[in-house]
Amino acid sequence: MKDFPDIPQAPLRPPSEVMRLKRMGAMFPTRLSFLRTLMRTLATEQVQVRRPVWDISEAGFGHAVYSLELGGYAYSLVAVATDLPPDQRTDRVIATAWDTAYVLYDGVPDADEIARICAAAPRQEAARFTERDLVLSRANKSVRLFSHVVESLRSGRQPDEALVRATGYLMRTTAVYGNGKFGIADRAVYDDRPGLEGPFMAEMLTVWLIRLFTHDLAEHLGGRALDRKLKRHLGIGNSTGLGMAPFLVNHPVLLNNWMMVRETALARVRAVTSLDAEQIACVQALYQRAARHLADWDVPDRSYQARIAVLRQDWRRLEPCFSTAALATEMPVARLLAHTRQSSVDLQELMVALVMEPFGGLVDGLAGCMSDPFGALAVPFAGTAELAAAVDAGFAWALAPDYEAPDQCRQFWYVSAAKQEPRLGLRFDEPGEELESSLDIARCIKALRRDLEQRNEPLSAFLARFPEHALAASRVALGERYPYAEIRDNLIADTCLPIDMLRCKLAFFGASRFDPRSDRWTRITLCQGAPLADELDGRADDWWLPVFGG
Amino acid sequence: MTWSVAEITALASKAARGAGAPAWQAARFGQAAALHLRHGRPATELGEALTSLPDGPAMDLPLALDAALATEAPEAEVMADAPPGLLQSYIDALPCRATATPGEAGVWRLSIDRGAPRVRPAPGRISCSDALIAQMTALAEKTYVPETDASRAAGAGAGLTDND
Repeated sequence: MKDFPDIPQAPLRPPSEVMRLKRMGAMFPTRLSFLRTLMRTLATEQVQVRRPVWDISEAGFGHAVYSLELGGYAYSLVAVATDLPPDQRTDRVIATAWDTAYVLYDGVPDADEIARICAAAPRQEAARFTERDLVLSRANKSVRLFSHVVESLRSGRQPDEALVRATGYLMRTTAVYGNGKFGIADRAVYDDRPGLEGPFMAEMLTVWLIRLFTHDLAEHLGGRALDRKLKRHLGIGNSTGLGMAPFLVNHPVLLNNWMMVRETALARVRAVTSLDAEQIACVQALYQRAARHLADWDVPDRSYQARIAVLRQDWRRLEPCFSTAALATEMPVARLLAHTRQSSVDLQELMVALVMEPFGGLVDGLAGCMSDPFGALAVPFAGTAELAAAVDAGFAWALAPDYEAPDQCRQFWYVSAAKQEPRLGLRFDEPGEELESSLDIARCIKALRRDLEQRNEPLSAFLARFPEHALAASRVALGERYPYAEIRDNLIADTCLPIDMLRCKLAFFGASRFDPRSDRWTRITLCQGAPLADELDGRADDWWLPVFGG
Repeated sequence: MTWSVAEITALASKAARGAGAPAWQAARFGQAAALHLRHGRPATELGEALTSLPDGPAMDLPLALDAALATEAPEAEVMADAPPGLLQSYIDALPCRATATPGEAGVWRLSIDRGAPRVRPAPGRISCSDALIAQMTALAEKTYVPETDASRAAGAGAGLTDND
């Protein structure tokens, strides 16, 4: 990790505490979230967004191009808006038509390239793209709010604040594809370019530009400008399902790096010995902002809403901990964290996110360590005795469950034939178990341990006899170097909720207002409260847990 | 038509899985296959490796190379009953730098610099024969599970329409 070694830090929270599904499913965005990092970069680089093409009809259909320069490279979002019948408007990944489609383009497209993208982008997965196309996406209107906003503007009024606050976006993306999908550029094409080195930076840039387009489209149709406060509160929605969940299992080094950085940041701020008056005021303001954010966070799912309600109450009860006197004591951050130590993981993780916020100087530099430029550098085990010892020492969590018990293996992961998307099936009720995807890492490790014998032998000889154990052996080897690489839960147990994996990844993106529609998919809001294109110089980095007017 | 490296990596990995390779060996094959084609090495070597599954170089090469990596010595011998180009592709996909020189009777001498991350190939597109794409696609399809009403109902955006 390219970091300065002499910054004081407390001990890291151990993986046994951090890498649990329940805690991952309680994560909040932090200043290390990718959107936050991107906004800081755009501000530092004094990025100017231009709109060289606006070819949108009075009815709101056509295309537009937004261009910017970042780190010495030009990038453009080509946005294509089409007329979508209501009966075709679905957030499902298997949809075949959308209100809008987008390509983040490498450079500034000429007329031929714009024409190519306008023909291909609306077809999404059914089309082929080129290495000039960096990211592919699409979005559907939030019909109620979009129509309300347009109609309000047409009648000379600003839209209703309560409706804007309730929905929070004009459109929802249903996929944001990167890294080579459908012929677009491999990440290697741009992952060493200034500003796009970090994980998902190109995707986040795309999302932020899509948000600008949704604002412009509504203003175009409405015939007047949106109030800046309303506009800032209009982020971009997203529907995310099971397709995202296996990513965390299939990219263990990346997961380790994200978590390790986050925990290192937490350990640094926990070691802060005192706060000055300005920092105390900042922490107090953040506490109040979080309370307002929670108050505005309503979801239709009853159990999730109940969870939010408990969190609101618990958060309010913490108010004395944020008094000036309490924050003026020694080790104030460690004290704040200790106050939530015995509380729910929701409360703990909200506090974790808050305490990082005032300390950009300690935290932000770590964002450069969140990518995975080299791949897994773990050394394979030479012999089976060494491997068995490593399993016994570090993977008790994987050895504990009885995977023969129905409740411990009731679910299985597979890839669907329809769109080659990951799915989760019920082992005893649905077909396809024989084609199970290898996301059952814990079960694989236990199976490996069972077949490791007392005698030592070369691992290659063992794996020649048991080739099915090679995956588990490689994950155990990873564990030595990458302690936060594994989700330490049984991902095929009936207690496994994919929504927890989704929230973890989406929190790293910078998502807020998690709105689960089942335990397998969720809506979220991205970029809410983020700076608008003309606000990058002033408020690029102060939008943690957005609140209206904040 | 050209392909991204990520597309070929994913397709080749699924193809190996469909041909009978376990997950780890399939993933290694995917990485090696993309580099193999990226460097213009014979596509037929990949097709033959897939045909040989669940035996053959796609099973043997990753184990042999990992056994070499597991030693602390800067050089190790690797027994490889595989086309040199395919061996080279597997070596190119290792996380650290390594070079192989041929010996006798299928034994190669591998020089390993464990402290140096592998040299990333320059970004670029992959051209691939239609025959290999067809072979890999057919094998990959063996790994997919047909959707059911239940799985459809549980997917993202599970409503029929989303006009809210």
